[in-house]
Amino acid sequence: MTMFRPENLDDALALRAEREVLPLAGGTDVFPARAVDEAWGRPAALPLLDLSGLFELRGIAETDDGYRVGTLATWSDVIRAELPAGFDGLKQAAREVGGHQIQNRGTLVGNLCNASPAADGLPMLLLLEAEIELASRRRRRRLLLDEFVTGNRRTTLAPDELAVALHIPRPPGDVPSRFLKLGSRHYLVISIAAVAGLVALDGAGAIATARIAVGACSPVACRLTALEAALVGRHIDGGLVPLVAETVPPALSPIDDARGSADYRREAACVLVRRLLMESHSGRVAA
Amino acid sequence: MASVSLTVNGEAVSAEVEDRTLLVQLLRDHLRLTGTHVGCDTSQCGACVVHMDGRSVKSCTVLAAQASGADVTTIEGIADGDTLHPMQQAFMDNHGLQCGFCTPGMVMSAIDLLKRHPGADEATIRRELEGNLCRCTGYHNIVKAIRQVATAG
Repeated sequence: MTMFRPENLDDALALRAEREVLPLAGGTDVFPARAVDEAWGRPAALPLLDLSGLFELRGIAETDDGYRVGTLATWSDVIRAELPAGFDGLKQAAREVGGHQIQNRGTLVGNLCNASPAADGLPMLLLLEAEIELASRRRRRRLLLDEFVTGNRRTTLAPDELAVALHIPRPPGDVPSRFLKLGSRHYLVISIAAVAGLVALDGAGAIATARIAVGACSPVACRLTALEAALVGRHIDGGLVPLVAETVPPALSPIDDARGSADYRREAACVLVRRLLMESHSGRVAA
Repeated sequence: MASVSLTVNGEAVSAEVEDRTLLVQLLRDHLRLTGTHVGCDTSQCGACVVHMDGRSVKSCTVLAAQASGADVTTIEGIADGDTLHPMQQAFMDNHGLQCGFCTPGMVMSAIDLLKRHPGADEATIRRELEGNLCRCTGYHNIVKAIRQVATAG
């Protein structure tokens, strides 16, 4: 294995354009996968392009219209950052993604580039309508995340591109978002199903805004657009259970695997969505 | 090959290592600091936890080259001469170990935990030990040991 450790983005992009390399940020997905490959005698993988020396990719900063999360920003950086209530769910996802040591190394952008169907970062980032900024020597472009993560372990990152940052618009109002994760135990676990939501009520308890996304129940986490549209205007007490049961399962395409059956995942997603709506009810009510 | 220079337990260290060398391999194989253990190799078990620039990391999740310039503390670096670190003493007092394999990582995580949550209660301690597995399932006395340090202020 060879490794490249550029000290600025120009050098990193030049290396990326010249040869096939695997970009490395926190390494929490890369190293375990390599250890497994080595243990099974599989041939050495691609050379690594270690981005950790690129200071320009660090940090979380407020911008004119929202927030910029650098590619090297860790889950711990997210937890420590002062962010509005709309990011509460992202902080919850950060706390549940792995133990403290993993939070200290793993990055949000790496979670997206690894493109696991069970990636805990994506549901919240989808409903925050984040864009990812990609750079190459040819161009810079920004993509919405449903244009970036396109399948199981598949993204539209070109071979000469590097993801440099996330751009997250300021969330609506002062409404807290939530992230609910189901695993086979409480900690250190890969999601069987995960739900992120931002639901705002008006003074009378009618739903004014509803953004809900589900992870680990389709090749790529997705927004529940049919449910979101149907919820707006409904009273939070107004018998939403049948609506959830009607709209959630058709939006998902879960698989059977070691962690759970497809049927179980569909049912779990419905339960988590109902719980999310219940918590929106008991939580802060938007003015 | 990569040249790495870092501080380990207060001493400046330099080494020429293969690119793929992990921090834990640098510590164990090059510096012979074998107190840091490798349990799972896949960043789950926490036996390899060390402090890097004051924060706990799994040293099998960091390349040696990525630790260049960093200040690293291992289990060998926490005692004061012959006097054990209070956390080591508490693990001894409470028999916070059975086979001892997870102990170095547990102690390093526990020190970091109390730095972030001084006076942590039992629930916090159990939650924060998420990234450290004890294959003997000896968590009860581990938690008791950490509580002893937490309540000693």
